[in-house]
Amino acid sequence: MSDDRTIEADVGVVGAGPGGMAAATKLAAAGLRVVVLDEGQRAGGQIYRQLPNGTNGHGLMAEPPSHDQGHELIKSFEKQTERNVELIHGATVWDAQPGRLWFEHEGASRLLRCRHMVLAPGAYDRCIPFPGWTLPGVMTAGALQVMIRGFGVVPGKRALVVGSGPLLLPTVTSLLGAGVEVVAALEASSRWQALRALPAVALHAARRREAFWYLKQLSRARVKLQWGWTVFACEGDGRVQRAIIGKVDRSGRPRRGTERTIECDVVGAGFGLVPSIEIGLRLGVASQFAATRGGHYLVVDAEQRTAVATVFAVGEICGIGGAEVASAEGELAAASILREEGGAAIDPAVVARARSERRAADSMLRAFAPLPGLHELARPDTIVCRCEDITKLAAGQAAALHGESMRAIKVGCRAGMGPCQARICGPSLQAMATDNTACTMDLPVVQVPLKPVSSETILTAPE
Amino acid sequence: MSETADIVVIGGGIIGSSVAYYLAKLLGISTRIVICDRGPIAGATSASCMGHLMVTPDNAQEYALTKTSVDLWRGLHEDLGGFDYNPTGALYLAETDEDQEMIPVLHKQFADNGDQADVLDQKQVREIEPGLADDIPGALFYSGDGVVLPMLAAGAMLRGAQARNPNVIVRANCAVKGIERDGDGISAVVTEHSVIATKTVVNACGIWTPDIGDMLGQSRIPIYPRAGNLAITGHHVSPIRTQLLEISYLRFAHATSGVDPTKTDADSGGHAVNMQPQTNGGCLIGSTRQFRGRNKEVNRDLLRRSLQRAQRYVPGIAQAPIVRTWVGLRPYSIDNHPLIGPWDPVPGFWIAAGHEGLGISMAPVTGLLIAQQIAGMTPSVNVAPYLPARFVS
Repeated sequence: MSDDRTIEADVGVVGAGPGGMAAATKLAAAGLRVVVLDEGQRAGGQIYRQLPNGTNGHGLMAEPPSHDQGHELIKSFEKQTERNVELIHGATVWDAQPGRLWFEHEGASRLLRCRHMVLAPGAYDRCIPFPGWTLPGVMTAGALQVMIRGFGVVPGKRALVVGSGPLLLPTVTSLLGAGVEVVAALEASSRWQALRALPAVALHAARRREAFWYLKQLSRARVKLQWGWTVFACEGDGRVQRAIIGKVDRSGRPRRGTERTIECDVVGAGFGLVPSIEIGLRLGVASQFAATRGGHYLVVDAEQRTAVATVFAVGEICGIGGAEVASAEGELAAASILREEGGAAIDPAVVARARSERRAADSMLRAFAPLPGLHELARPDTIVCRCEDITKLAAGQAAALHGESMRAIKVGCRAGMGPCQARICGPSLQAMATDNTACTMDLPVVQVPLKPVSSETILTAPE
Repeated sequence: MSETADIVVIGGGIIGSSVAYYLAKLLGISTRIVICDRGPIAGATSASCMGHLMVTPDNAQEYALTKTSVDLWRGLHEDLGGFDYNPTGALYLAETDEDQEMIPVLHKQFADNGDQADVLDQKQVREIEPGLADDIPGALFYSGDGVVLPMLAAGAMLRGAQARNPNVIVRANCAVKGIERDGDGISAVVTEHSVIATKTVVNACGIWTPDIGDMLGQSRIPIYPRAGNLAITGHHVSPIRTQLLEISYLRFAHATSGVDPTKTDADSGGHAVNMQPQTNGGCLIGSTRQFRGRNKEVNRDLLRRSLQRAQRYVPGIAQAPIVRTWVGLRPYSIDNHPLIGPWDPVPGFWIAAGHEGLGISMAPVTGLLIAQQIAGMTPSVNVAPYLPARFVS
């Protein structure tokens, strides 16, 4: 059945972040017809998120230097949308086969047929449960960015920022830009652990500039980054009103007795990112695990090709690496596709740039591997699966009886079976329920739909 | 490693868990019982099925079996709890004239067994279930049915067994590799982790029951996987509060299909909708039936036909978010009746399997009947029609 709900393109791109935009822009400039499917309201993805009117919504909010490249990328991408690129925003991709992407858009069930596809769906936040993390006002770093940059909402008056890794800094500056006081910024890693990232940052001109810019913003606002600290608990009547913070050891284990109370009405928690690989697994792409790349990620060859014919993958889905990696890999994937389409050989400089960005990101993120001791923040009665209201104790009991696998924990207590399908609890659940200090987790079993869509959408899907 | 056990139960699904529970209940606490599963406990069919507790009145024998079992479920809920037991009853919905004619037939079947179901007209149906379409001509309501979450129920039964008898050992991720013989009988079960000396084995492996039988060099136990496609919505969106079945469900679900189950590409499959409200406000939608081996890929076409039927009866389900679809493999026995009892050629070898779509309903009575037979007690229900002996050649 083919009707006006089915569209055709030379290349289908999933995700309009830096990776997807870079690939689409280059492919379209070479004359291919590209359709980009994105869940957001504007191009930019999570990192360069814009309000529907194309601004960040907070007047003269200061932007880091890398955002200049982001705006350039958005500008050239949007120029192509007037020609060979169609951006379908608000699209939920729910099933995929090589050459076909099923998506829900404005309530309609639609199909994109394409000769090649580029997967650039990005990542989601790694959540570390702690007592009170489900209180209103406590949210992930990503959610804070969506509120501030995507909707122009000022989330509160006094914010506490906690977590680990490079995402802490943009969370602080976005809050400052929105006029929120940042009462403390707590990095769980110790200064010495973080120093391991120094060579990678120092040797990379753009990252170096970026780091200086962030530190200047923090110092101007008199926000001090506290190393080896994190949040132990959040408390409040109906919403967060104060946080108990304290020191952690080098594995992230809370050091009881160091607690301090801090008044705040917003808590942003950014404990790193997890690659959003479900669509790749659904397509049959192989994966690997590396804690420093955020968990399971898709395997691609030196030209961003997966082992599944016509399927390419770029950016966070190939391991957490950041915007520079994503845009470099996006450009490389485009070059690979153009060559397969009979175009010129791939410029070695494009390959080299993608590889060197990936190497730099890997060596920086090695300093911020997930800290297993943080899983001790949750108490036995702390909810770990918020979809099904499952406590840490219940998850541990399920693992003890049903087996120490993700599947066993799920069937033993329903954790991870709700609407988020373990995207929120999954990365911590298995380690937490089985005292697994390596923070490994089983590969998720991917079931359709990849994201919730209506019964009507599945029923009426074009073939 | 070597160890001993009085009884080894192979298969930690809903049936094996129930067998373990009733063995622990009926035998002394010095009885050492080991339950092994090659994967997670309740991780296969018991985690991918519906949780319908269904009383089937077709004949007195099956009525006794299912009614006893559904009553036992109520007791398990009171004694153990923790598995979202929900006595919703069941509405058998008619759509066509042919369906309408089935209502008095089913009503009489319940009455013949001394039970009762209520015949409802178009208006009464909607009073019981406002989420239904307004053109359902009639239905039969049976209040005795219910819903449970099977994987939580299996866990509750195993914990219940361990609470009664500290010598109940549960081993997940412990595959059985072989069974050692002593003359006609059994001397040990060899698992991937240990050799367990035992004279008594209960084979409760669902669709894998024949694989264990093969280890004894017996004629193949005639149980075959029959696939069902299912879908579940998000929370707090279920338009219904009662369990719904198309009455035409009875025409195909619990009858032999006429298709050879060994031919995995010959069955185009059948469907009739069954919808279950969940205690979290979600709605579980099934169910289809198709023989196609152990293939667990969703059959889109059959799934769609289920969703279409669901929307026909409950229009509000169309906009409900579906969070997951999947396939469960039911253990279908060739004569459509479960195997509950000894496999006579091998003394000490028992089978509890082959319940197809009634495995959850019949789990407690199956565990009870196996435990009573092993303990040398008189079975609570006439077990003769379900003895595996009927398949011994």
